[in-house]
Amino acid sequence: MEHEYWKWPESSAGFDNLGRSGGDTVTVGVDVGTTSTQAAVIGGGALLGYSSIHTGADFKKAAENALNMALAASGVARGDVSAITCTGFGKENIAFASKTIDEIHCHAKGARFMFGTEVRTVVDMGGQTVKAIRLFEWDRVRDFMLNDKCATGQGRNIEVLCNLLHIDITEIGTKSLEAEKDPEPVSTTCLAFANTETFGLFGRPEFKSEKPSEAEIYAGCLFAVAWRIIGVIGRLSPLDAGDIKIDGALAFTGGLAKNPGITRRIERELGITALTGEYDPMLAGAIGAALLP
Amino acid sequence: MAINFKKMVVGRHAYAKAWKERGGGKILGYFETYFPEEIAYAAGVLPVRILAEHEPDLISDKWIYGACYPVKDMANQLLLGRMDYINGLVNTEGCQWMFNAYEVVTNNRPGLFNHYLFLPDYTNSATSKDVLRSELDVFKTKMEDWTGNSITDEALDNAIEIYNKNRVLLRRICELRRAQKPVITGSEYMHVLLADQIADKAEMNVILENYITELENREPGRDTLRLMLIGSETWDSGLEELIESSGGNVVIDELDNGTSYFWNNIYPQKDRLMAISLRYLDRPHNPVKDSNWRRRPEHIFRLAEDYHVDGAIIQKQIYCHLHGTDNYAVWRLFRERNMPFHYLERDMFVPKEETALRIEAFMNMLREGATRLAGWHKKALI
Repeated sequence: MEHEYWKWPESSAGFDNLGRSGGDTVTVGVDVGTTSTQAAVIGGGALLGYSSIHTGADFKKAAENALNMALAASGVARGDVSAITCTGFGKENIAFASKTIDEIHCHAKGARFMFGTEVRTVVDMGGQTVKAIRLFEWDRVRDFMLNDKCATGQGRNIEVLCNLLHIDITEIGTKSLEAEKDPEPVSTTCLAFANTETFGLFGRPEFKSEKPSEAEIYAGCLFAVAWRIIGVIGRLSPLDAGDIKIDGALAFTGGLAKNPGITRRIERELGITALTGEYDPMLAGAIGAALLP
Repeated sequence: MAINFKKMVVGRHAYAKAWKERGGGKILGYFETYFPEEIAYAAGVLPVRILAEHEPDLISDKWIYGACYPVKDMANQLLLGRMDYINGLVNTEGCQWMFNAYEVVTNNRPGLFNHYLFLPDYTNSATSKDVLRSELDVFKTKMEDWTGNSITDEALDNAIEIYNKNRVLLRRICELRRAQKPVITGSEYMHVLLADQIADKAEMNVILENYITELENREPGRDTLRLMLIGSETWDSGLEELIESSGGNVVIDELDNGTSYFWNNIYPQKDRLMAISLRYLDRPHNPVKDSNWRRRPEHIFRLAEDYHVDGAIIQKQIYCHLHGTDNYAVWRLFRERNMPFHYLERDMFVPKEETALRIEAFMNMLREGATRLAGWHKKALI
């Protein structure tokens, strides 16, 4: 079988829950996204286990699989779960959900759990959407913005690019940072154009004598994605027409948060360093859902 | 029997054809709501708004590239012959995409009567009212030549009276939306407005009077989150329906074909054309007519206050440059005054999954107290 460069590794894990008393309520959150599905098991205010898998074409199947994997990893029986909250684009398809809730509130809640209560701005960078969320000083959503049509599908686009360029999705970000200087973004309007532009880089007359390095090509692609995400974040900026201002601490969630080629460029442009946490940022939606039973 | 305005909109082509058969008058299609319909009506002409449809863009794409989808579809509808009953086409200065659509259609249908009516973008300058009055005079003469009917003062008075009455009736219905439990939903109201723009106003006034009686006898509606809809024109009620399915209701709007269409009346004066000129220059303006004055954000905010909204949805048709450039002014005012809002870009179709997520999240944000936390307090409702 041909190597699938786009395919990020699926995972599941359980955590030592010795501190948890037997009577603690256990809740599960399942985030059924367009490209990935996560489940998180929360008990006694701690993450007991999780799973993160590819969604594929069947939301129901993905949700069921993610739930079972997370429960198995946590060592929790399904009968001991008091509530299962579902979120994500596929949430309405899930029969076992005791409740559904929008992803914005889940990512906000999950980010505060994962990165601490100082979080004021959450940027979820998923397979199909980018969500910039502004929080009050306490646990409430104050404002949010989503990408519009021309900037959709950014995470998915990077998967496509990795396959086209034969570079593993777990490596493209780090390798892009090897470029001495970022070239111009390949396209800041449309991802379909971005793909075409990327291949155009190989054949441009100005590069005939000196072809761009692989790192420069990756940098051009990822800078284009980062550029569009910054545009969404900028819409949250309170009142000034000038620089984008981040109101307090920033946290990245979603699959693209694991790509340093994206996160470093956003941080560089905004002049801010995002918070880091111990958990996989793809889990934020599921953790948030589990915390909103 | 309940009046179904949605059916009226769907059946608008049959209505127009029947109107023509009944009276033998001419039908004039128009693009912009800035068009002073009264003058055409006084000449015995039926002004009919061109509404965009949800059809694949078969023809207009090669003529108008990069315009918003609804405007492309307005041209599409005309070029496909969906409105083959119209005898003429008029465009009033306003949205440049609509002007492009008008030009494309008239270039392709050279036999169609057409007129471009200049309405100054600088609505408040010292000469605006005189400029528009003289443009109306040109249009009046052209209407007389085209129809063979003389537009007398009496005919103009009659048209003004009918149109004023129509605006008063629409405003009365709008007032019912201020109630805590409005008897009318936002989607139903949108269909009333669309139906109004394709019907003979004298006939529509009778329908609206009956409808008001029906509404006054209705049981109160649901006590829901109250939203305002702002931004580009919409030609369907998809967004309102999505909001209603999430437990909200659009209780007021600031759309060109919404409240801005009927908000102010003509104050009669001896110089009828000047009276019309002043009405169209004084109406609530869209961004293109508001550049130098920035009255629009304040007007929006006053409507929001008056209708006790919990939050606003600012929606922009993709490639709508007018609203794209004006949004910042509205955002700024809302943020200064802690008014919760959500901004989204849409197409002719409302992309359901993505829009549903936004609406759901915004409503949850309002439900959990963003309105209160932001200091935007509801006043006592009527």
